[in-house]
Amino acid sequence: MSVYVYAITKDAHPLDLSDTEGVGDPPGELRVVRAGSLCAVVSECPDDLSMARRDLEAHHQVQERLWTEGPALPLSFGFVAADDDAVRGVLEERAQLFGQRLDELAGRAEFNVKGVLDEDTVVRAVLEENAQARELNRRTLEGGGAYDERLALGQLVAQEVQGRQDALAEEVLAGLRPLAQAEKVAPPSQQYFVSASFLVTDDRSEEFGRAGQELAERYGEGVELRIRGPLPPYSFV
Amino acid sequence: MTVVPQGNGGGVPAAAGGGGSGNLYDVLELVLDRGLVIDAFVRVSLVGIELVKIDARVVVASVDTYLRFAEAANRLDLESGKKAPAQLTDIVEGSVESGAHGKSKGALSGAVEAITDSFKGGGDEDKEEDEDKDEDAERRPAREKRRERGERRSERRSTRDREE
Repeated sequence: MSVYVYAITKDAHPLDLSDTEGVGDPPGELRVVRAGSLCAVVSECPDDLSMARRDLEAHHQVQERLWTEGPALPLSFGFVAADDDAVRGVLEERAQLFGQRLDELAGRAEFNVKGVLDEDTVVRAVLEENAQARELNRRTLEGGGAYDERLALGQLVAQEVQGRQDALAEEVLAGLRPLAQAEKVAPPSQQYFVSASFLVTDDRSEEFGRAGQELAERYGEGVELRIRGPLPPYSFV
Repeated sequence: MTVVPQGNGGGVPAAAGGGGSGNLYDVLELVLDRGLVIDAFVRVSLVGIELVKIDARVVVASVDTYLRFAEAANRLDLESGKKAPAQLTDIVEGSVESGAHGKSKGALSGAVEAITDSFKGGGDEDKEEDEDKDEDAERRPAREKRRERGERRSERRSTRDREE
């Protein structure tokens, strides 16, 4: 019978799994597979494991619960072992690696920062601050103006928007970087002008949260900074 | 400006069990894309993962993009133009600004809904085909919505405003 694997901890971890349920419907019962000084938290793998909210949420909640009580290496969603022996095999084989990483992550948590720039707001700002864009916009209003002018306007606005996004992203990263031990920055996307995870020691956790808040307040409407944390260190395992 | 602080800043994760769906969206790519990967285990097939992953496209330099931005600039100018009565302008601006939060959530939550729906419905129907037939924009996967962002922007906004 295959087992769904959530996380790896040391055997010193309290592993209190009461009130926490696994993936599947009905929710799988969480249990611990032990090998040497390491433990893996697992449950029976449901036949219909899927990326539905039910299972994603269960996976994440197990990680949060474990992380609250001590260092844990969160697995990525969806990993299944053939049986308990296969889990024990991996724990034994990679005991040193896992143990070392757990030590390194002790007393540290991940913070994830995402920035969303409202397009209307930034385009409006470009129009307000750039006379050339204003002029091109005036000429192309209501279907007027030549195709070239329309294209020139779009190119100018796109460049300005990109420039503002990049500058904003760098500002956010520069503001938070000094408080973190490590960072993992996701490539730029259309959705977020910045998306980064930081590894933060517990004693700086509060400071980091405050710095993020202050940073967020510095910007006006149209810039949304979403800071999530402390989280299990998904990005630093 | 909207800040979504989580937890209480005291080094304690957000209350256990408090993981509402709103919380899940922001950590979705961490749960799916990050985390420990153990090659000795099998990863279950993650059907639909590409719908949930962040759209990694940068603002590309293309004629389409330029025209879209030109259109956005034109439209904004009209919305806040002098022709509109002052009150109307205020309403439009207010809704644009307060819309930022809902809008940013839209894409990902849409994706999760779509995936959840597709699994709950036990559907093994061909999704690609289905997308073309399905004219109900609210139930379409985010990927599809995003592709249409340019053309459908104003339409989608009015939908959203009705909901709010």
